[in-house]
Amino acid sequence: MTDVVLRISLHELCQYEGVNEQLIVEVVDHGIAQPVAGSSVVDWVFETTSVYWLRKAVRLHHDLEIDWIAVAMVIDLLQKNEALQKQNQCFERQLKRFLD
Amino acid sequence: MEFKDYYQILGVPPEADSKVIKTAYRKLARKYHPDMNPDKGAEDKFKEVAEAYEVLKDAGRRAEYDELRQYRDRAGSNFEPPPGWRSSSDFGGAGSRHFEGDFSDFFNSIFSGAGAESRQQRSGLRGQDAEIEMPVFLEETLAETSKLVEYLIPVYENGQLSEIKKSLKVKIPLGVVDGERIRLKGQGGAGQGNAPNGDLYLHIRLVPHPLFDVEGHNLVVTVPLTPWEAALGMKVTVPTLSGRIHLTIAPNSQTGQRLRIKGKGLATKSGTGDLYALLKVVMPPSANDEVKALWLSLSESANFDPRAQWSN
Repeated sequence: MTDVVLRISLHELCQYEGVNEQLIVEVVDHGIAQPVAGSSVVDWVFETTSVYWLRKAVRLHHDLEIDWIAVAMVIDLLQKNEALQKQNQCFERQLKRFLD
Repeated sequence: MEFKDYYQILGVPPEADSKVIKTAYRKLARKYHPDMNPDKGAEDKFKEVAEAYEVLKDAGRRAEYDELRQYRDRAGSNFEPPPGWRSSSDFGGAGSRHFEGDFSDFFNSIFSGAGAESRQQRSGLRGQDAEIEMPVFLEETLAETSKLVEYLIPVYENGQLSEIKKSLKVKIPLGVVDGERIRLKGQGGAGQGNAPNGDLYLHIRLVPHPLFDVEGHNLVVTVPLTPWEAALGMKVTVPTLSGRIHLTIAPNSQTGQRLRIKGKGLATKSGTGDLYALLKVVMPPSANDEVKALWLSLSESANFDPRAQWSN
């Protein structure tokens, strides 16, 4: 059985995404992701859920040529949008219980 | 191969200056970027636009491209760079594309795989990550469950891209929530040479349950009652994710009222949520004469106006 991993280290992240530490520090500084462990940068560990948003942030920064502040705003809005859609689906399901 | 007209792709004239090219790129990138555009064709369109920009934004590459572009009409759909053609462009560095398997054959034929080299330097030919949707039933979140996943992985064999089917038994941890992503190290695409495999990400999706609705860590079960049950109160057996329980309904209960049943919600890493019984009074679809008479008598004795708030 394969081990499920719920964390990813800074080192792994940099290696997989082909980015340097400084970029990740920028992303964290702008509030786009937060490490869940590690007191100093080299020890940083992220939840695997963050990887999805981190990747999006790096892609947006590079592809759309927007600064990190704008990226942070976009990510924030995308996350809020996702949460709202989910909540909406939840309400719709509940409403159906009363209309059926 | 077909000659790619990068100017046409960006919708700019061949004499356009770098500012015009930049603006055109940004507009199209904003429109087709897969993170912003979920449509099927968007990613391919974006890659095309990004490739065009990669070439035209740099004076050196643009000059080389312009040189070859002169001959595009002659070649028709059989374009080949002239023999001995060698690009002097360097694609290394942080500015390189992030999409794996990104540049077109046309691009690679002109810029002789320089893009591939830099990707190589960057990631050491590590295999691609993959992500799949993983439907999980509510019952399966109550304890650690093992599930079988099947997925397709892109594989490069002798320069040919194909897909192979992989099958894996996965331990789903206790208390996973909808939307969570779980990482399985090394179960993604194969790495080239000695490079490590990519990872597989499972995107957890809780399957909607016929009886229960999810509210964070809590569950909601809708309990239908007859009008007389709501009026008189009663004891009802209510299903939960783990067996049935008895619930006391108080007299004069209302539709929409919630009764909390502690600890019968979803399991989480920090305890268990609650189950809420949501009351729903349901009218019988028809009434025989005897029942009708009783309703009439009730209407005469009850003295209750639900529309009292409406003004005259």
